[in-house]
Amino acid sequence: MGIIKKLPVYSEKIPGGGIVTTSVEQVLNFAQAKSLWYLLFGTACCAIELMCTGASRYDFDRLGMIFRASPRQADLIIAAGTITKKMAPRLRTLYDQMAEPRYVIAMGGCTIKGGPFYYDSYSVEKGIEHIIPVDVFIPGCPPRPESLLEGCITLQKQIQQRKLGDWQEK
Amino acid sequence: MSNLRTEEFDINMGPHHPSTHGVCRLLLTMDGEKVVKVVPYIGYLHRAIEKICENRTYAMCIPILDRFEYVTAMSCNYVFSLAAERLSGIEVPERAEYLRVIMLELNRIASHLIFFGTTAMDIGALTPFLYALREREYIMDLFEMTCGQRLTYNYIRVGGVSKDIPNEFTPKCRETVATISDKVEEYKRLLNGNPIWKMRTIGVGKLDADLALAYGVSGPILRASGVDYDLRRDDPYSIYDRFDYNIPIYQNGDVYDRYMIRLDEIQESCKIVAQALDQIEDGPIRAKVSPNFKPAAGETYTRIENSRGEMGVYLVSDGTKKPFRVKARGGSYPHLQLLPEIATNCMIADLVAIFASFDVILPEVDR
Amino acid sequence: MNNEELKAYIESHYGSQLTYNEAGKYDLLFEVDASNLVTVCEKLKNDSELLFDYFCNLSGADTTERFEAIYNLASTKKKIRLDIKVILPHENPVVNSVQTIWPAANWYEREMWELYGIHINNHDNLTRFLLHDEWDEGFPMRKDWDAPDFIRFPDL
Repeated sequence: MGIIKKLPVYSEKIPGGGIVTTSVEQVLNFAQAKSLWYLLFGTACCAIELMCTGASRYDFDRLGMIFRASPRQADLIIAAGTITKKMAPRLRTLYDQMAEPRYVIAMGGCTIKGGPFYYDSYSVEKGIEHIIPVDVFIPGCPPRPESLLEGCITLQKQIQQRKLGDWQEK
Repeated sequence: MSNLRTEEFDINMGPHHPSTHGVCRLLLTMDGEKVVKVVPYIGYLHRAIEKICENRTYAMCIPILDRFEYVTAMSCNYVFSLAAERLSGIEVPERAEYLRVIMLELNRIASHLIFFGTTAMDIGALTPFLYALREREYIMDLFEMTCGQRLTYNYIRVGGVSKDIPNEFTPKCRETVATISDKVEEYKRLLNGNPIWKMRTIGVGKLDADLALAYGVSGPILRASGVDYDLRRDDPYSIYDRFDYNIPIYQNGDVYDRYMIRLDEIQESCKIVAQALDQIEDGPIRAKVSPNFKPAAGETYTRIENSRGEMGVYLVSDGTKKPFRVKARGGSYPHLQLLPEIATNCMIADLVAIFASFDVILPEVDR
Repeated sequence: MNNEELKAYIESHYGSQLTYNEAGKYDLLFEVDASNLVTVCEKLKNDSELLFDYFCNLSGADTTERFEAIYNLASTKKKIRLDIKVILPHENPVVNSVQTIWPAANWYEREMWELYGIHINNHDNLTRFLLHDEWDEGFPMRKDWDAPDFIRFPDL
């Protein structure tokens, strides 16, 4: 069973190659985790850090993450920035348009609980968790690109630990 | 074929659209590829910053206003501090003024680099984005070593700045501005001669000076239309009169000129930073200001030249520790208002180019 | 023209309509009657000594007893600045639109109407645009505004 557990990460090490034995669960999880295409959804300050993470120095691509402009092609929403009451229904629509399995990262204080706009603001949603289900929260105002990378790696780990039954019922 | 009857249709661009640089919604009436009518809808990022500021002390307003225009957050810090200083008559130490100018100009460079990258990306060239953000990271390093933040600084405070620069800042900053000044030449080589770039930008989205002034357009867009108006010189603040720099002016007012003027401004800002680093002397960095300080009752509208145009704060004090009214005016607000005037009857691909060349940032519009 | 000269000029030429208000710090602040606003603004823009061709900003303010509308003007040719304040009653505040003089005022007036409930006469498009479409909770920037889900900052 040892080989199967490590597969498919070490599949190229099998002498001769050609035959790979693994479980469907691991192949699916591996494929999903290593090619998380994210929706380019940035509303406020965090969007600039999201851009920086995608650009030269931090290079999101090495995690297999490429931005998509259309929700139909995306697996992941990185909700970067304040969500206002006017924007909330649009966020829900975007989420509904994505194909299963889909994931959400809440980036920054505003998406967690309203951030600096919690008090005295008549137009800001206090957190996005009651609009769409969130998998990973990244605190910060705005979070550094390193935090975002760590959040994405956390999500990838979560995905790789899933059982086949988990995402059928979701 | 020309008398073929076509039908108009409506199409929504945004609020989630990568070329709207945030969450602006444009309701377009289209006739084929031609835009017949543009109606901008804003408010998707209306965060009530003005309401929040009315219930905070002056010191607490500054981090909130950081989020008002996050690409050049130093300017937001500065314009509010300047307004509070004008109300209360606080004198800022010499060294603090120099540090402020250095930070403001570095921030202007960083903002124009984002403009360069995103505009090129919207028009279809992805590489400049990677180049521009690479250079921007050097500036982020400088900010980080000074105040510990990359984007929302809370650095410029009422009466001065929060921290002095570390020793390694000066050599690194000199190196950075020299590098960026060189890199701008490289950017110009990369795009200016490119025939596709020229076709997409020259003569597109022409804005004449009268229309620009009538709509309250300011900053690089106004100067690209041939109006010589820069608040650093014409409504002087801080110590800009001590530096030798040019204010670039272009005459055509099209997308190409709006792009060129920003590249030139990067180089001029590099000059200012280099001169400020030469002139700066040791000394205190902050006047004594209590965290709960109370300016005298009065009101002022303070404005500065930001990378997107005139940034202003209308500040009313009633003599208590909280401001009575804070109204933040961003440069992008009139620019977005102007969009229907010049984007009508253009092709939809040109609309994206025009929108990108305005460098609209939505939090500044919505607040 | 510096501030002293500008003040003297305005007081001699527009003294009947504009009254000096010393609350304005750094720049000059004048008060004008709501009924005179449009005519005065038109004159200020076309006066060859002033040429206020640039509309910087318009902000409303609520002092709980009255409303104020503050117009910040600038001249790109003469490099001068001027603020004009209009005082409006707390019941039924109405002000005339200046968008025929400066088209830039359009959105500022719309915003003031939306957030403060100051009605604008002769405005071509007085519709909601900052708040969400189903908003029915009144005018949020007024000092006495409140709503069930509005969380106030703890007292300082």
